[in-house]
Amino acid sequence: MKFKDYYEVVGVPRDATQDDIKRAYRKLARKYHPDVSRDPEADVRFKELGEAYAVLKDPEKRAAYDQVGSQWKAGQDFQPPPGWDAGFEFSGRDFGSGADPTHSDFFEALFGRQARGGQGRGMHARGQDHHAKVLIDLEDAYRGAQRSISLRMPVSDEHGRIAIQERKLDVRIPKGIRAGQHLRLAGQGEPGLGKGPPGDLFLEIEFKPHAQFRIVGPDVYMDLPLAPWEAALGCSLTVPTPEGTVQLTVPAGSAAGRQLRLKGKGIPGKIPGDLYAVLTIALPPAVSENEKDAYRAMAQAFDFNARALMKG
Amino acid sequence: MSKTEIQSIHGLIVEEEIPLTLEELCRACCAPQENVVAWVVEGVLEPLGETPQDWRFTGASLHRARLALWLTRDLEINLPGVALALDLFDEIAALQAHQQRLGPR
Repeated sequence: MKFKDYYEVVGVPRDATQDDIKRAYRKLARKYHPDVSRDPEADVRFKELGEAYAVLKDPEKRAAYDQVGSQWKAGQDFQPPPGWDAGFEFSGRDFGSGADPTHSDFFEALFGRQARGGQGRGMHARGQDHHAKVLIDLEDAYRGAQRSISLRMPVSDEHGRIAIQERKLDVRIPKGIRAGQHLRLAGQGEPGLGKGPPGDLFLEIEFKPHAQFRIVGPDVYMDLPLAPWEAALGCSLTVPTPEGTVQLTVPAGSAAGRQLRLKGKGIPGKIPGDLYAVLTIALPPAVSENEKDAYRAMAQAFDFNARALMKG
Repeated sequence: MSKTEIQSIHGLIVEEEIPLTLEELCRACCAPQENVVAWVVEGVLEPLGETPQDWRFTGASLHRARLALWLTRDLEINLPGVALALDLFDEIAALQAHQQRLGPR
């Protein structure tokens, strides 16, 4: 496991005050929150930041981290020294959050539930619910899919040493699922304490960006480029959809921006979404003499002012 | 890192199959009950049902409640501020959907 420099992640010196840490965290958290940022790395950065802040904002955890961390640099191989946390009582409320699948192995080894020693022995409590994101292809929502995800869980061996155990789950993604929806996997969250039942795992669905299709809720949009004569005279075309090709009739006199709706061809469901073909006009370049003649003939034939609506 | 064998499981779509009770929502987003109740009163979350015992939350509430918790806890934004921020998030989502419909121009 690699050592993580939480100070570097938050961007503060090791002797930063709690206020400095809070300010630096908030600034970066606003920048990288996945609901705000369009940076493709935002998700990863935000998770890293959340993990670093979970340690540094809590003076107890920060002191413990400082004690282990002063000899290491980011990225070095790291094993927590035996009994490293002796003398620290992790009592903070946030500490109840235990093993979070979004936290790194490094965090889990230092601050995971097992590392907290015998806390809760003899107690019975339901395990926490966990959250994770799953990226799927648009086609998976049309057909349903099977996705393998791995979860990390710290477990201690008979000598009390912490090992990270990886658990693989094969999750069936149901047909008709949409971005932002959650799958609940009952009993797959944090194990319960004592005889308590385990928590649930919530998977938030996100679509991978698609070169051809754009997704809005249950509806799917695609650009359909036409030659000027196809738009003006109308035509019948074979167009690709996420579930195979369909025959589409473009009415004569179609303008750019017009949306042709293919009812029920969006993401399937009780109320299936629609597929929209958004017309765009591609202008053929005039290179050869023939081509230039064709444009000249058009200029002759049309009484057309492209700037008719422009004033002045 | 040790591995265990693969388990195959079915999940349920929260948005379509399981309306969450107040207790379930609190547990699912790790938020204290008083916060969730305050968000409902402020209109940040809109469950079906009259009394807290009858409240049923949709999956969309799960995302909103997690966002509200982050704004409250980490950014220390007060209740009206959280409500305003979530309205603005909705606005951004609507604009992004509009842009998606039009496509890159």
